[in-house]
Amino acid sequence: MAIEIPGKRWGKRLSHSKVFGHGSHGKKQIYADLLITPLVDMFVIIVLFLIANFSATGEVLMMSHDIQLPEAFNVTEIEMAPVVMVSNTDIVVSGTAIGRVDDLTKDEYLNIPALEEKLREMKKQYEDLHALAKDTEGSFKGDVNIQANKDVQFKVMKRVLYSCATAGYTNLNFAVLQKGSGEGAPSAATGSP
Amino acid sequence: MAGGMDLGTGGKGGKKPLDTQINLVPFIDLMAVTISFLIMTAVWTQIGKLQVANSGASAEPSNSPEDKTPPISLLITEKELRLSAGTQNFDPIPVTRGPNNKIELDKLRDKFKELKGQLPDAQAITLQAEDGIRYEDLVRIIDECKGDGLPQVSVAAAMG
Repeated sequence: MAIEIPGKRWGKRLSHSKVFGHGSHGKKQIYADLLITPLVDMFVIIVLFLIANFSATGEVLMMSHDIQLPEAFNVTEIEMAPVVMVSNTDIVVSGTAIGRVDDLTKDEYLNIPALEEKLREMKKQYEDLHALAKDTEGSFKGDVNIQANKDVQFKVMKRVLYSCATAGYTNLNFAVLQKGSGEGAPSAATGSP
Repeated sequence: MAGGMDLGTGGKGGKKPLDTQINLVPFIDLMAVTISFLIMTAVWTQIGKLQVANSGASAEPSNSPEDKTPPISLLITEKELRLSAGTQNFDPIPVTRGPNNKIELDKLRDKFKELKGQLPDAQAITLQAEDGIRYEDLVRIIDECKGDGLPQVSVAAAMG
């Protein structure tokens, strides 16, 4: 008869139980190999996808819930410039509130004096900065980005456009959501040199 | 096993095993950091611009004396679109809207094709919009002009 270690000894039936251990199943191995290859493959694919969609220009416009941009096909890449935001209720220039649309629709003036003043101020700042830096190449081009809600009436828009033009911003860029790829776009949003 | 390659524990003078295992841990770390950075800096909405010029308050289309092509203008009202090139006036196009309340521009496209057949060098057009025109309609018409070979679009207010 074999010598056994002293202690509890279960009966024949219980000795095969999982609860009381010592069953015939044995202990499972604690260490499991993690499959690295599919993980690395997935990472590589995600990185490639994100790099392909990477935009070096960043976010030029601050997207707002109350401004729904219209869609267009024949667009070019948007560039950094002062942004005039026109929603159904307010007009905002680079974070500064200019006026309420309801008030603007009541009077019959062609320009918006506060907008004009703000844009003139920004133009002067730009010119002073470039004059101080003696930057001859970065002269003022008169670009302004108009970020307007698609339901805004032209009655308001014409005043905004007129104010921009009188303040010296004659290159008006209407911000739109790019829809598909336009045939006529000279440099699509994928980038221009 | 941090860093480097596992070259085995070959004994003194013994042959080193040929199988080496690349340590993937720093590679995965780099990937995780890159993915986090790219996701944080990603721009999910593709925004473009439609460049237009402002003709000011006057509804008169600008035309330089050297330019031989007659000035092309499109009057946009809430009911119709009136295209004209110099003294030639095209038939007015009634405004129809699609299911999403979007203005339908198929007829305008045909008119532009006809116009480009007559004036192949034409590049500029002046849009004269009435006060009640929605910005979305204006943008769609500007987009149509650019797509149909009239890239120099200027916007003015309609008189009257």
